[in-house]
Amino acid sequence: MPEERAKILPFYLVIDVSWSMDGEQLQTANNIMPELSDALAKDPILTDKIRFALIDFAGDAQVRLPLCDVLDPDVVLPGLACRGATSYAAAFRLLRKEIEANVTQLKADGFSVHRPAVFFLTDGVPTDTEDEWTSAFRELTEYDRQAGVGFAMYPNVIPFGVKDADPQVLRRLVHPSTGAKQSRMYLMNEGNNPAQAIAGMAEIMVSSVLSSGANLAGGDSGLIHPDPADLPSGITAANADGDFL
Amino acid sequence: MTHHLDESVAEPAPPFEPVEPVRIGDPGRAFDAVKPKLDQRFPDVPAYVVDADQVHDDRGGTGLALRAASVRGLSHRFYGTVRQDAYARMLSEDGRYLVACVADGVSACEYSHLAAEIVTRAGCQNLVEQLAAVPPEKLDWLLVLEKLVSRTVSAAQGIAHRNGDVPLGTDPREAGRYLASTALFAVIDLETGDDGEHTAHVVTLGDTSAWLLTPAADVAWTPLQHVKNSDSVVASSATAAIPVVPAVAPEAVIARFGPGSALVLMTDGVGDALGNGTGEVGAFLSRCWATPPTPLNFAAQVDFARRSYDDDRTALAVWPSAGS
Repeated sequence: MPEERAKILPFYLVIDVSWSMDGEQLQTANNIMPELSDALAKDPILTDKIRFALIDFAGDAQVRLPLCDVLDPDVVLPGLACRGATSYAAAFRLLRKEIEANVTQLKADGFSVHRPAVFFLTDGVPTDTEDEWTSAFRELTEYDRQAGVGFAMYPNVIPFGVKDADPQVLRRLVHPSTGAKQSRMYLMNEGNNPAQAIAGMAEIMVSSVLSSGANLAGGDSGLIHPDPADLPSGITAANADGDFL
Repeated sequence: MTHHLDESVAEPAPPFEPVEPVRIGDPGRAFDAVKPKLDQRFPDVPAYVVDADQVHDDRGGTGLALRAASVRGLSHRFYGTVRQDAYARMLSEDGRYLVACVADGVSACEYSHLAAEIVTRAGCQNLVEQLAAVPPEKLDWLLVLEKLVSRTVSAAQGIAHRNGDVPLGTDPREAGRYLASTALFAVIDLETGDDGEHTAHVVTLGDTSAWLLTPAADVAWTPLQHVKNSDSVVASSATAAIPVVPAVAPEAVIARFGPGSALVLMTDGVGDALGNGTGEVGAFLSRCWATPPTPLNFAAQVDFARRSYDDDRTALAVWPSAGS
């Protein structure tokens, strides 16, 4: 490490664009990135260190916005469109590839990179076989520090589920699932409006990005979750055991 | 009112080279955008503290030039919170040792600037008391930490009482929710050895760091402790802090330095940007600190602008100098 050019906290926003998301839901999902960008624009301390990437997935996964400073004048925020199927495995594999490439490049360029965070928004169950999506998820998140085996750049994963997303599947994506820095998932309460829930989840993402960035300034690199009491209505937080908070 | 032409020629105003903020690489958006806000809660905590001292052993010829600066970071300026770093320096009763301390209050706690003050002041005080009876190699560092933990816990109890909170017990972890601070101590012998070098005993708790700076050497910056994140794939910033400390005596590192080098103590606001010392920040500070700068220049150098480095910054440096 020749020097510390700047500290960077990378966020990856991963959005399900299967056909079931079409309509109002997709429109609301399309607003998440601009909302995050507007929130960052008001805080010069955070804009100096937070970077965002946008990945969408259906039957395949695509990088719609490579990891960047979203306030860079050259950045154009992409619009999302729906495609067929819901492959979690495709999303996890692309995430691993992107994180590895981005972190490696940033470190080679002299940046000090903090652990990435993934906001994973879905409205359905995976169309992959269980074996397929679980093994892709393990490759993204498993790391044995002692043995040095696995993916050392593993991200913190925060699943967001609306409509037909299965809480029993999503809770297995909460990472880390245990320990002092354990993550959470956010679920739309049954019977709620999915588009409204996505708007509420965007608020949670903004709040988490702002407080995590501020916390980084203060010397802690953990991802900060909003107080369960302050969640937008119609959304519930739960841990990896499926226990509601 | 009548006007008289003044026949005498006015003296020209003396030239003044202003001390300007310095940018190292990309200064980031915050450098231009942040307008400092007051912290209404703590009106008496200054954003900038600067010192310059000449210390020398009355019995010998050599001495040390000291420069110190503590600067509120961009982040605290933007959010309107106080500087939470601190430093202190003191001579032992016999005048032989300089005791210096640098501390970084943990920003997650509201009253950490008080923890940093307790650590630096009470820490130096206790070391000076001990030095009245024992030499530096016999210092009881565990005792220093115990005193500081106890002082910090008392301070937390007082704050809880004044705030009308649930009364605090003696558990340091409870106190640590109100205030906490890292600590770095150096005990420097003003008497030099036969080789003309000063000996320093350095103890670190948390990520506050001590360095030997030898600007003319191939490797200018030599860390006296493990460099943070130098062996990890992604960076982390977890750190030990008073009052929650391990129950084992910290190990003192012994460093020697002579003319042409300096001992520099710093909080991670400077240390993180310095990295392992081989980058732009290391080159800049090494050039600026080849000899002791003026106190205001030293503060401006500590206050450099560099993207994303917005933490409070404190540095205390000593250079061997010919005494009087």
